[in-house]
Amino acid sequence: MTVESRLAEAAPGAGLARLAGSTLLVKLGAGVVLLGLWELGVRAWAPAYVARPSGVLAVLPEVIASRAFLSAAAATLGAVLEGLAIALVLGIAVGIAMGRSFAVDRLIRYYVFGLFAMPMVAILPLITLWFGYTGAARLATTVFAAFFSIVLNAADGARAVPLEYLEVGRSFRARRWRVLADIVLPASMPYLLAGIRLGAARALIGAVVAEFFISVNGLGFFILFNSRSFRHNQAIVAVLVLAGAGVGLEALVNWATRHYFPWYRRDEKPR
Amino acid sequence: MSVRPRSPRALGWLITGLGLAAGAALWEIVGRETGAAFMAPLSETLLRLAELAHTGELWQALASSLALFGAGFALSVAVGVPLGLLLARMRLLRIALESYIAILNATPIAALIPFILSLMGFGFAPKVLVVFLFAVFPILYNTVEGARSIRPELIEVARSFRSTERALWRDVLLPFVLPFALTGIRQAIGRALVGMIAAEFFLSASGLGMMLQSASQSFDTATIFAAILLVTLLGVALMELGGALERRYAAWRNIRT
Amino acid sequence: MSEEAAAICISVRNAGKRYDALEVFAGIDLEIGQRQIVALVGPSGCGKTTLLRSIDGLIPLSAGVIAIDGAPVTEPRTGVAMVFQHFGLFPWKTVYDNVAYGLRLAGASRRELGEKVPYFVNLVGLRGFEAAYPYQISGGMQQRCGLARALATEPSVMLMDEPFAAVDAQTREILQFELLRIWDMRPMTMVFVTHSIEEAVLMGDRVVVLKGRPSTVFETVAVDLPRPRNRQTLGLARFNELREHVWSTLMDEARRAEFSVSG
Repeated sequence: MTVESRLAEAAPGAGLARLAGSTLLVKLGAGVVLLGLWELGVRAWAPAYVARPSGVLAVLPEVIASRAFLSAAAATLGAVLEGLAIALVLGIAVGIAMGRSFAVDRLIRYYVFGLFAMPMVAILPLITLWFGYTGAARLATTVFAAFFSIVLNAADGARAVPLEYLEVGRSFRARRWRVLADIVLPASMPYLLAGIRLGAARALIGAVVAEFFISVNGLGFFILFNSRSFRHNQAIVAVLVLAGAGVGLEALVNWATRHYFPWYRRDEKPR
Repeated sequence: MSVRPRSPRALGWLITGLGLAAGAALWEIVGRETGAAFMAPLSETLLRLAELAHTGELWQALASSLALFGAGFALSVAVGVPLGLLLARMRLLRIALESYIAILNATPIAALIPFILSLMGFGFAPKVLVVFLFAVFPILYNTVEGARSIRPELIEVARSFRSTERALWRDVLLPFVLPFALTGIRQAIGRALVGMIAAEFFLSASGLGMMLQSASQSFDTATIFAAILLVTLLGVALMELGGALERRYAAWRNIRT
Repeated sequence: MSEEAAAICISVRNAGKRYDALEVFAGIDLEIGQRQIVALVGPSGCGKTTLLRSIDGLIPLSAGVIAIDGAPVTEPRTGVAMVFQHFGLFPWKTVYDNVAYGLRLAGASRRELGEKVPYFVNLVGLRGFEAAYPYQISGGMQQRCGLARALATEPSVMLMDEPFAAVDAQTREILQFELLRIWDMRPMTMVFVTHSIEEAVLMGDRVVVLKGRPSTVFETVAVDLPRPRNRQTLGLARFNELREHVWSTLMDEARRAEFSVSG
């Protein structure tokens, strides 16, 4: 008998909501309606090659099974994960240094802020100049995309370690690096996870635009290639995989946050 | 643990200044050492910037990009905020749509650019659409987050004082949801910038994106760096604006009662 | 004081409330006279808060009727003001704006606000804090602000849901006596829910004990302590008698609950 249930009785649409039974049903219903609108809208107004749910479903099995598609998916997702991993290791190190050391913070803050604000697409010409039109360039893009959000959030987390914890460390005469490993790192985890969430999203975007620019094998290039040859339904399959990756990464981070830090409220704003 | 300077502000500025100077020096030295096709030194970049400003090319590109950004961003706010507020009040609709909004927010919208190109071709409208799509989902998502976390006690208070629907919006719903919407808007600024450059790269070239791309094709690193510098400054300025707006209206939110 | 010639203000007839399979209370009959103070006590989960909200018109009953001044309650009405356990202050409004809230909704003019709001802010002892935000003041002060907000509408009926539960013991005592002082100045019908038996006996003309599954009115204890109530009241022998009586009535349920682990 919570306040919520009492007020739920009073909100508009409450009666209907109860009629609908459960939230899952409502969501699925809405999904069906949206897909229906997509299907009908395309049939009525768009040229034949435009993607529609029935078309996507029709080509889905063959696309998923095709070696070209699978290798493209592996290439892109691999680059994203690899880039994230590199960005994580480097980003945490730099971020914590920034958070705990006044000197480091003041030294590099404008670089970090500036490069964080730079739209990652703008770095592509430079990266292709330095790394060529290769997978390495794509990897560099994903690292660049994810790195700065991780640094900023790690710095926020390191800066926000409650003094009481540090006091305990001092009273046990812990050495500096032990303090960092045992206290600072775990205490900043929630912020870090927010940074990873953002970094993952950015890495995904980075990989896709890099593939547009570089034309190296991957889901982005798959979309480009197929949309140019009017095979939109096939291309949408790649979009679905990317959407799934985006949702999956975010779900993973959310799960990790809930599981390891149930006390952490997500109204700490990530950047 | 960390340095406790006597006058932190002055020392802070000194260190920052040193850092920037070191970076500038590094840029200049590496630029001179390596070939022109690899990295133009800082001095050349600045000269090119002045040149572009003088010929007017810089201002033209800036204006064109800002127009694109402005149109797409304004559209995303005009659609995203009212729609988010509507979902704030209509619980059933919100439950129905919030998962899809979350999914779209997590999807790289860049993946849709080829479709937009294929369907709408070159022109201003498809680029605006791209910027719009990049920006609208964080606004929607964050506004809906705000709606989801409205404390029902406050609505109860309003009902017990027999508040009208309009007064409920004015006194409770809008003030509560506003900071969340502003967080969404701040995030949308960053994304819209990416969308803007992406649109200028992959759809019809214009503005700073075109400047960057044509410089890239002719290995003109001085212009490449100049354009990157411009884009970065633009990004920093806009994001600072967004951040300031957000902080201004969210003061009461930081301390939870 | 006794209730001899008091006209009926609030009448609750055969009130019942259920949420799907859970029946919270049933067959509640209650009559509260004009300008009486009635305390509702009972074990946790007995629905006293739900009952109070039903009287305010926030929650519809499943059975029975509640009427105020003869008119059945369907929704919150003017002249009835509620003070919430959770304060319910709007965090983005200052103390002044929060107190003014009810008045503004009722269409008070700027001049009226300028007269009434400072009066009520003073009345609850918050003078000087008009421009403060809820997060800047203590829990006790927040509760006073909520009290002022309700009082500012000059209601004839005040409903209070554990109004002093969220403040510390000392502030609680101070607020109780302040409320009694306010009531002395301007008597109104008051119904309040509380977990504190002392509070119920100190403040109320009657203490209504709710018990059972589903809850019903188990007993109504008439509190014949003299008014005005003050610190001396706490020392009276009769006060202790009444308190012990209510305590033992409630304790039976609690002790029984201890042993019925299977629910």
